[in-house]
Parts: sequence; C-alpha cells; structure tokens
Amino acid sequence: MNDSAPASIPGFDPADLDGHTMDELIDYLDAGRTPVDPSIEGSPGCRIALDALTRLRDLGPALLDEDVQAEPPADEGWVRQIMTNIALDARAGRRIPVVVAEPDDVAMTEGAVRGLVRAAEAEVPGVLIGRCRLDGDVTTPGAPIRVEVEASVPYGEPIAALATRLRAAVGATLERHTELVVTAIDVVVHDVRLLAAETAAETGEGKEEGR
Amino acid sequence: MTVARNGTWLAQADDRTVAGRAADGDTQAFGVLVRRYAPMLRAYARRIMGASAAVDDIVQEAFVTAWQRLPELEQPEKVRGWLMRIVSRRAISELRADRGHVDLDAVPVQALAATAESPARAVERRAELAALADALGELPAAQRECWVLREVGGSSYEEIAEDLGVPVSTVRGLLARARKYIITRMEGWR
Repeated sequence: MNDSAPASIPGFDPADLDGHTMDELIDYLDAGRTPVDPSIEGSPGCRIALDALTRLRDLGPALLDEDVQAEPPADEGWVRQIMTNIALDARAGRRIPVVVAEPDDVAMTEGAVRGLVRAAEAEVPGVLIGRCRLDGDVTTPGAPIRVEVEASVPYGEPIAALATRLRAAVGATLERHTELVVTAIDVVVHDVRLLAAETAAETGEGKEEGR
Repeated sequence: MTVARNGTWLAQADDRTVAGRAADGDTQAFGVLVRRYAPMLRAYARRIMGASAAVDDIVQEAFVTAWQRLPELEQPEKVRGWLMRIVSRRAISELRADRGHVDLDAVPVQALAATAESPARAVERRAELAALADALGELPAAQRECWVLREVGGSSYEEIAEDLGVPVSTVRGLLARARKYIITRMEGWR
C-alpha cells in the first residue's frame, strides 16, 4: 500500500491537519471552500494541504490537454470503419402516415422529415440546423404540429432576419413535401460562428474541440 | 451550397449544433464529432488504461455506442463529457475483463525514495505535468483509474463506484490514497 509515504511532508501527517482529515478537506474544496470554515482556513497545515490539492486539481485537465497536443488527428481509415458501422441505423423515429386518394398505408419516417427540415438550411447560406423536434402527434393525420429547430448562424448578419428566412424555408419545405399541419416553427439560435477561410476542408478540423 | 462548404461550416459549428444533428441521424455531423474528439478520447483512454494500452478499438467501440445512444442525450452541448464517460466505462470494463477483478491493494511498482531527489528548481508546468504522469504511472491500477476518472474525466464518486463495481466508500479511500501519493511524490516540484 502506498500509505507509507514519508510522514515528514508537512500537511499530510494527521497531526498537521489540526484535527481535520484529508477527506474533509477534499469535500471542503469540492464545495468551493464555502461556507468558509474558520477552523480549516485558520490551520496552517490545512492551508498547505488545500494548496496542494488545488494545484493538483488544475493539473488533471492540463495533463489531458498536453496529451491531446501529442495525439495525431484521427486516422481517416479508422474514422471510415466507424462510419460504416453506424450507417445501418437510419434513426427512423415515428411513422408519419400520408393520406392518399386510396388509402394504401403510405407513410414517411420522422427521420426523413427531419432530413427535409435540415436540407432547408441551404436556402439561408451559412446557417446550420442543429436538433429538430416535431412536437405533436405526427402519427395522426391533421394533428397540429409545432416544429422547433436549433440553429447556428454566421457572424455579421442580423440574427432575427436569418431566423425569419430559415423559418420561411422550413415552412415551405414541409408544405411542399409533407401533409403535416404546422402551427408554428420556432427557431432557437444558440451559436454564432465566425466564418473562417474555407480552405479548412471538412476533413481538416483536426483537433479543435470544446466548442 | 456545396457539400464541401456545408462540411466546413459544420466543422466550425459548436457541439450543440453538431451533436444535435447527429442525434437526429445526420451521419456527416457525427463524422465531425468523431474527428473533433477522437484524439482527446484516445488520450483519455490511455491515461485510464496505461501507456501501452491499445486504445483505438476502445474509442472506436465507444463512438459506435455513442451513435446509438445520442438520441438519449438531453443536452447535446455536453457531448464532450458524455463521450468521455462512454470511453471510461468501456476502458474500465476492458481492464476488468483482463484482470478479472479490481485489484484494490496492489503495491506500487516503485518506492518513494527512488524519486525523492527530483530537481527542486524545475517548477515549470511541463516538469510538473511530467512528474504527475510519472506518479500516475506508479500508482496501483485501481487508484490510478479512480484519480483519472475523477480529476481528468470529472466523473462523480457515484459514477466511478458504478464503473468499478465497488462501494462509494471504497472509491473515496482509493482517491484519498491516490491524491496523497501524487502530492507527496510531487512535493519536490514545488
């Protein structure tokens, strides 16, 4: 066991912690050192241990950051294997009936409708649709449906105007290709992107992360 | 709009957009996620499993699992931590399959005395991180796993207990010993 660390290190001998334990100090740190515990803050031994624990806490993420710098970008062959594995799952979602002259059990999938909605982003260059929800009973013909889309927009254009254009594009697409009775289309813009030079090809994003 | 431009925009979009689309079935968006986080997840898996571990398969399987479960992810903007958790679970179960059980009382491979003469003047971050890496390498596996899951992955005590199949109290004990060892071991770098 590695509890046999030298007892001479200040702050780690229980006697140096003025009656407190390391567990207590860690919980205190986890709580953001609030509410302030005068008994801990007033103990030199505890302060030393807290300093050491705090520095160590910062080092964990820093260590990973350093590791990531040393990692090569994902190998494209390796990425392709993943993409091949997932291609079989089409994410169909709910089954949306289509009413035709002679009812013949025709339907499209919710996943296909989401795909149509996403494709409408092409009408507003630079805008990207994120998650899309069809709120309402899409399995019943004629039921009122509220559409909610999240969107990432390019920097430099009025967001309200972009949202209006996107809403119109989504509405037109759904009108043209589905029988859904759309009562509202909500656009939630949560990301504004600086459009960088388009030389950064779609395969070249490498290690940028945490966006 | 060409597909290439769309791909470029997607690569620049935030996690919420990219993961949200992937959850809805957009495989191109999922490809962006894979490329964005594969290096980080490989590094994370290696920290959990040890430097010599073959992490490519672990991370690949984790991504396939992630694709299947993405529709369950309530907050797509938290996809980074969510992916880390999938990788850590996969890595831990792989380790457990290898050794059959969690070895809670393994002896560290190296005694403290051997490293006590570390140059005290080298206080730079890089040296500190190297010391941390060394200390981690010397820890018994279960202590290293606990520490990496907690301090690198941000997992809760409960999550770690679940992954390792031990009580929370054991996790606390393992973490306390790991922290004490690392801090003591790094004392020379202050």
